[in-house]
Amino acid sequence: MNVVVAMKQIPDLQQIRIKNRQPVFDDVPLTFGSIDKNALEAGVNLKENGLADKVIVLSAGNEDLEDTIKEALAAGADEAFLILGDDLNGAESSVIAQVLTAGIKQIEDVGLILFGEGSGDNYSGQVGSRVAEILGWPQVGYAGAVKVEGNKAVVTRVLEDAEEVVEVSLPAVITVVSGINEARIPSVTQILKAGKKPKEIVEEDELDEINKDALITTVSNLAPESDRKRVVVKSTAELVDKLKSENMI
Amino acid sequence: MDFSLSKEEQLIQKAAAEYAEKFIEPVAKQIDEENKVPDEIIRGLGELDLFGIPFDEEYGGAGAGYLCYVLAMEQIAAASSGVGMILSAHTLGLGAIDKFGTEEQKKKYMFKPCRGEEVASFAFTEPGTGSDPKQIATTARKEGDYYIINGTKRFISNAGYPGPIVVFAKEEETGKVSGFIVEKWCEGYSISEPWEKLGMHGGPLLDVYLKDVKVPAENLLGGPGMGYAILQFAISFGKVGVSACALGGAEAACREAFKYAKEKMHRDQPITKFQGIRLALAEIAERVEACRWLTYRLGYLADNVKNPAQFAKEAALTKDFICAQIVDISRLAVNVHGSYGLMKDYKVERLWRDAIMGLQIEGVSDMQKEIVAGVIIGSK
Repeated sequence: MNVVVAMKQIPDLQQIRIKNRQPVFDDVPLTFGSIDKNALEAGVNLKENGLADKVIVLSAGNEDLEDTIKEALAAGADEAFLILGDDLNGAESSVIAQVLTAGIKQIEDVGLILFGEGSGDNYSGQVGSRVAEILGWPQVGYAGAVKVEGNKAVVTRVLEDAEEVVEVSLPAVITVVSGINEARIPSVTQILKAGKKPKEIVEEDELDEINKDALITTVSNLAPESDRKRVVVKSTAELVDKLKSENMI
Repeated sequence: MDFSLSKEEQLIQKAAAEYAEKFIEPVAKQIDEENKVPDEIIRGLGELDLFGIPFDEEYGGAGAGYLCYVLAMEQIAAASSGVGMILSAHTLGLGAIDKFGTEEQKKKYMFKPCRGEEVASFAFTEPGTGSDPKQIATTARKEGDYYIINGTKRFISNAGYPGPIVVFAKEEETGKVSGFIVEKWCEGYSISEPWEKLGMHGGPLLDVYLKDVKVPAENLLGGPGMGYAILQFAISFGKVGVSACALGGAEAACREAFKYAKEKMHRDQPITKFQGIRLALAEIAERVEACRWLTYRLGYLADNVKNPAQFAKEAALTKDFICAQIVDISRLAVNVHGSYGLMKDYKVERLWRDAIMGLQIEGVSDMQKEIVAGVIIGSK
């Protein structure tokens, strides 16, 4: 069984500057989201424990992806399957889900597809569910632990107030949370060998027809504004009262 | 001329930065206070192949070259110059074996150090001399298939870690200085307590005592009487590490100054609004940028040495310039912090102490200038 890990190419968020309330992407290196790296680590762990044959990283984006993918290959993926298209960077979830599904259909013996719960930039959290729906496969979200036992996976779902353990038959789509593991830091040797690992590249227009009708328009993309309340207190007792009145304590 | 880094170079830089942030920075103050780098840090650096970055894979290295070594060292040393110093001195010692060793010596002595399972050292300095081969008092007496080495070496980095140490000694028969690969902790090898030094804590400097140390004749490095040539060439590569270590400190001072200035409020506004602070920050940024590109250039040159004397000049001028700059950069960063910059609660206090070390280690400043002038004047 092969494990496919879907990863999204995004700008390195730590290097984005804001100018006139808009992000500036000039010269910002591309990378993958941190939860995507957790998903990859989960896949690599399955392989290292003898529960998967190969870990194949799947990604869709512009031509920069050929370089960006080295990061995933250095971190333990065996192969890469890339779908390139000029308009795929930033394409909405419905389009990306179709594109990735078309890619998955070209990969042999896929038993499990892992996603991060949400991408590192928009965090819409939709693509994994959409891919499962198109494929007609079961999907489990918020995975904090994944075990493979024969033709099923045992998944611990990390919910707000509880943990739920579910079994799901394979093939399946599982979306993981960041707490599932600590993604490894690749060694220098692994980084240098990443570019030599097998890569299959297809152009977006080689895929079956993709419905690109825009379903969502981004109207605004700003952090919520917060303002200090500037409450002045003269004693500890008054501070306690104020905090209580705000339900802070 | 292309100043961009390849994806692989970016990833190596990023991996080192991530390791430094996650594992070294949280214990950097502890390293400074205890003058000891935790063993798990050494193991972790080894697992990332940072102990063997420039060396060939067939000897256990990563085969990434000296430029990548600079990129990684910058990030590691920004978190702790003590850790940087261990890596730098190790790479100097191993570099001497790599450049002058036989195939057998490289296969025997480079594998474990390249993986961080051992840490290499380089021992020329003695109580009576820093770099003058005529003043070397350590002796090597040939007895059959062995040399018997006696003497004391001073300020030797990593001397307490197991691994190879390149020892320079005067051959009794010829009076010439030769290099020998000695295994630390062999019979007759002992060390002092670490010197208590101003900065770069965690990077240990010790004295090494060699009493009738028996070294197989095949451990002679580079041939009889090659000691001074080995010293000159290897130390040039050592300056790549020292420069990169200083660059990391400069970068850290820059980050601390900007961070503090953005957070520190005066009359309800951050001090970045005041021109005096803005000018200081700009000067720090200018100097760091100059240091960065000079050091990256030295890493590139180390991977492409055509003329050893020219490379020695480039290494000397880079090391001297950057080690002088970092003293000013860290002082400016302390100034931005005001009185707080002198307090141990602030990283910049440590950075200033660390910075002062650079001008004296691996060849004092005046000697670097002599090398630069000598090569330039001599070539005209």
